Amino acid sequence: MRIALVNGSPKGKSSNSGVLLEKLKPLISEGNELSPYRVNVKPLKPEQYRELNEADVLVLAFPLYFDAVPSHLLRMMVEMEEFRQQKPGNPDLTVYALINNGFYEGHQCTIAADIVRNWCSRCGFRFGMAVGHGAGEMLSSLSRVPLGKGPMKNLGRALDQLSGAILTRSSRDSLFIQPNFPRIAWRLSATYSFWHPQAKKNGLRPKELRKQPFSGEL
Amino acid sequence: MRLIVHDLAEQEYNTWLKGFSRDTDEVIGEEETIRHCVGCFGCWVRTPGTCVLKDSYTHMGERLAACEEFVLITRNVYGGYSPFVCNVMNRTLPYILPYFITRNGETHHQQRYERQFRFTVHFYGEGMTGAECGTAQALVKANALNLDASDYSVSFHDSVHSLKEVQ
Repeated sequence: MRIALVNGSPKGKSSNSGVLLEKLKPLISEGNELSPYRVNVKPLKPEQYRELNEADVLVLAFPLYFDAVPSHLLRMMVEMEEFRQQKPGNPDLTVYALINNGFYEGHQCTIAADIVRNWCSRCGFRFGMAVGHGAGEMLSSLSRVPLGKGPMKNLGRALDQLSGAILTRSSRDSLFIQPNFPRIAWRLSATYSFWHPQAKKNGLRPKELRKQPFSGEL
Repeated sequence: MRLIVHDLAEQEYNTWLKGFSRDTDEVIGEEETIRHCVGCFGCWVRTPGTCVLKDSYTHMGERLAACEEFVLITRNVYGGYSPFVCNVMNRTLPYILPYFITRNGETHHQQRYERQFRFTVHFYGEGMTGAECGTAQALVKANALNLDASDYSVSFHDSVHSLKEVQ
């Protein structure tokens, strides 16, 4: 079967959505044709919409923006619905979502998963399941940790479930997980190993990150 | 002051909703090209509080900080906002801080500003499903929590015309 892997990260380079797709790939590659797509600020071409519409499986990987789907990907979804109305495509196309969010708790991806499910209903796609992963910004630093080990234990289990559903094109309950890593340690590392070094790189002191450009005067 | 973001064509807004907004309100429609947030975090670590993308929506963080009520008028798209309204929402990221707090047992962002606004969302569209309305309710509630709104309200309208009655 033909599986379209859509990386919906708006970043031009490496992305956490890309890390998740790379982890999924070996679990679903045998006997299947995997086709990668990138949806960022550059829109898809008409022939790419046609390819997606005729795929057997579509995996949408994207970061959570404001509890929902980021706007560039939402535009693609609306375009896809319009395309589908013109050309019916594969009637059994099944959609799976792989969502990562910047908070710790995976369940904060629930609303975005529901949006994807509602999109499937509008387009006449089957909704398979979603995996929502918390602490998404950690994924790039954990990319070399084997699935199912240490902080990637929960992700390993979730991707086993997801790949099983994809290979049988079945629907299962969505899973919302976080890394096997304490929340307080994650929160401290975000501040001291990520935001503060980023500020320093830009010549800013940590307290300058709290700047308030709106002074209260209109 | 109310900050109103809508996805209607200019003529449609003028025809149906001119009375909706008052002289003191700031109204943002899709009149100019808007760029998508690219997740660069520049609004947090390069120019804190201001987006680094140069277009008419660079200062959404400040504009949100200046309002007493944040109003969205949006087509219900799969239980969320329409692409334009979603795009504007994504560009308000500089309104909040990169740091986290725990609220109701969940992680959320710390607020850059001490002030709060009311959050009001009007979804419109024919044939909205029960699932789409339920998702939309949950989305507004979650956004209100993340933006630390003082309170929020959600309403659904079969058409834009009916919005005239709720102004």
